[in-house]
Amino acid sequence: MAGNDSQLSRRSFLKAAGSATVAATATSSVAGCLGGGDGGGDGGGTLRYGRSAHSDTLDPQNTTSGEVSKVTNQIYDGLINFKPGEATLTESLATDWSMDDESVTLDLREDAQFDDGTDFTADDFIATYRRFVDEDYEYYFEDASVYGPFTLGAWIDSVEKDGDYTLNITLTQPYAPFLRNLAMFAAVVMSKDDIESDFNFNADANGTGPFQLDELDNANGRIRLTPNDNYWGDGPRVGELLYIERGQNSTRAQALVEEELEIIDNLDPDTITTVEDADNTEVVRGQGINIGYMVFNQSRVEAFRDKRVRQAISYAVDTESIVEEVYEGLASNANQPCPPALFGHNPDIEDYPQDLEQAQTLLEDAGYGDGFSFQLTTFQNARGYNPAPLPTAETIRTNLGEIGIEVEIDDRQFSDYLTYTGEGKHDASLSGWYTDNADPDNFYYVLLHPQVESPEGQDYVDWSTEGFNASNRAAWANEEYMGLVEEAQRTSDQSTREDLYHQAAEIAHEEAPWVYLDYADEVRGVRENVSNYTVSAIGGPHLHLVEVE
Amino acid sequence: MVSKRFIVKRLLLLVPVLFGVATVVFAILHLSPGDPALTIAGERASQEFVEEVRANLGLDDPLWEQYLRFLRETAMLDFGQSYQVQRGTPVSSILADRLPITIELAILGQIAGLLFGLPLGILSAVKKDTLTDHFTRIGALAGISVPIYWSGPLLILLFAQILGVLPTSGRISSSYFVDSTTGLILVDTLIEGNFAAFESAARHLLMPIVVLGVYSMAFISRMMRSSMLEVVRMDYMRTARAKGQGAKITVMKHGLRNAFIPVITIIGIMFGGLLGGSVLTETVFEINGIGTLLVSAIERSDYPVVQATVLVFAFMYTLVNLFVDITYSMLDPRIEQ
Repeated sequence: MAGNDSQLSRRSFLKAAGSATVAATATSSVAGCLGGGDGGGDGGGTLRYGRSAHSDTLDPQNTTSGEVSKVTNQIYDGLINFKPGEATLTESLATDWSMDDESVTLDLREDAQFDDGTDFTADDFIATYRRFVDEDYEYYFEDASVYGPFTLGAWIDSVEKDGDYTLNITLTQPYAPFLRNLAMFAAVVMSKDDIESDFNFNADANGTGPFQLDELDNANGRIRLTPNDNYWGDGPRVGELLYIERGQNSTRAQALVEEELEIIDNLDPDTITTVEDADNTEVVRGQGINIGYMVFNQSRVEAFRDKRVRQAISYAVDTESIVEEVYEGLASNANQPCPPALFGHNPDIEDYPQDLEQAQTLLEDAGYGDGFSFQLTTFQNARGYNPAPLPTAETIRTNLGEIGIEVEIDDRQFSDYLTYTGEGKHDASLSGWYTDNADPDNFYYVLLHPQVESPEGQDYVDWSTEGFNASNRAAWANEEYMGLVEEAQRTSDQSTREDLYHQAAEIAHEEAPWVYLDYADEVRGVRENVSNYTVSAIGGPHLHLVEVE
Repeated sequence: MVSKRFIVKRLLLLVPVLFGVATVVFAILHLSPGDPALTIAGERASQEFVEEVRANLGLDDPLWEQYLRFLRETAMLDFGQSYQVQRGTPVSSILADRLPITIELAILGQIAGLLFGLPLGILSAVKKDTLTDHFTRIGALAGISVPIYWSGPLLILLFAQILGVLPTSGRISSSYFVDSTTGLILVDTLIEGNFAAFESAARHLLMPIVVLGVYSMAFISRMMRSSMLEVVRMDYMRTARAKGQGAKITVMKHGLRNAFIPVITIIGIMFGGLLGGSVLTETVFEINGIGTLLVSAIERSDYPVVQATVLVFAFMYTLVNLFVDITYSMLDPRIEQ
């Protein structure tokens, strides 16, 4: 058994290494340095990936689930991909690209084939796009997920090919994050032949990626992939990749320690201890691209429309102790909408310290010196950005009790929570977000822009406003912030965008539409016989590069 | 001999029972919080997109229309497609995958319960008020009192984590992929002639079967004991003994058949209990039967899967009880009247 000290020092080292890498590259990266394989594996061995839930489909256009993308990202390729462990883009089915305002041109790879042996061409992307968003297309997919309009449909005016290996895409407006949308799991390319036949994408798969589907075993929660002999890139370096469902964190960790699995995800503090204490496994961390926060619903609660009340609550909540004690160090403190892994994060902003005197003063200035009460709605089960929702809510209740604010906790099962908060019935709620495309816009615009005009003389909108973006659970509508975020969305120059987002971050910090809680780490358990594994917060997991001894 | 009329009458009774269950489950689902359209659409969806999903699913129709459509389709054994658990897959196909898993567990649990419960019950009755009797009764009481969600993890802790002799979860080791011919893993491994896979499956199923079997055994042995004690006091037993028949033959020949009647009722009820217990057992041992399917479908507001699973539970329960009644009337023809 490895001693606890060495385990702890490795954990601290990995955390520090992760932060340092992120600081240098504005991305999240921790190398799976357990053996440090140098590539060139012989394609042997079995890699068993343990996870908490089985895939509910194999169709990337029929889901928003990350569990599905863990598998489909091995089978399908997008035009563009994320580098392992980073938020930067790299070539995939497109080898080169350019974007000029509303015009995007992509040169496509000529040596890619689907695993059934057919060649990949521009027609495959066009059919994929049309299946996802074009209601006039004969093979339009009626059950397409929200990623259809969210990633492609809302932004693309037309897609045309110039020969078999060049795509010209015209956008509806200049939209800087577009290339990142092409790298999302939902935008992977399917075969036109399959789309225009009765291929069952829910239960079968045919892609250009490193692996191919060998067996989908729903009865036992398993999926077996084998190498795609037609793969254009490097790898895979294992002969077989198994996804195995182990719903309970403890049994998943136990299975790793007992060498029944090679990699596991979704670790909580208890299972981290199990993995750290074993002599044949390691905990590997990477910086996440997510945020956990508490929303003030300004459409519903009058007191929350006063900035001083929101700031008072931000000063009263002890976020440092929530991160250290409740989340047991699995996260870092948040102070603005965009996490540090992305270029839109403003490093000059400091956390709200817990300062009850300041909080009380602000409340008195706002006319709420005698306190008030509100309901705090929360989901019940842990989520990545909030590993302990109920203890978090209880800490907030205790903290706010000290400045005379009475909090009633309203905990709900997740789908009920989504419905309730989606309809704007919450006073305040615990919430969180995982990035879709690793672009700051995915936080600033999606979560805090109402996507309707800001009413004259107020910086919130009524929930029932037609076209209102309900992902903005705070109903916040600050005109200056909205202007900056809109401009950043239309600007292609990265340093200009960075500057605009930094200004938006200052406003979002000062105006406090949320209590910023945490940015959670990505944590995996890995066996010592695994090398070349990289924790990725976006894209991947890049398992075709992994070797198993 | 059981008359056809009796069986037909009992089968016809299934119709109002299933209709009642269907109505209740429909009402509960639609009254409970959680919006399937929003759950499917996800956090990123606009209100407009959610409404589109709702319309696609027919959930924007008036409730009575949805109810009538549900009844009509259910009557034609069309349970629709799963919203979430296995998106776009016909529910009947999901149930065909999952049902054998639960049935295998319930049958093996019941067999284990009978194998140990019946002899222990008889032994306890025959050796009334002896140490054996006390020991058996205490064991049975413990078996009934210990809930599955406690005994299951305890067994896992002992045999999987401390002793390391049995696997913690699942039905078979990840290295074995077996063609699903019957859906019963033990049978399928034998059909393939893969004895290593059979051994793996047997080792995986041992703890779940013990957990279910102990519960069943405890009930059966208690019922068998009291039933035997009652029968032993009957005049015909005394007469048999007075005729000089040995104690063993008296019990086996005259006692057992009559003592079985109430026990068989318990077996029927127990089988229903085992199906219910499968929800807990499958959850604890992470086995993907209809118990875990139901839990997962409820969590994700997957209406078609919840409705079909509850109906299947109800159908199996009533069917098992029908078999019990038939057996019962064979043992005591007066019942049929």
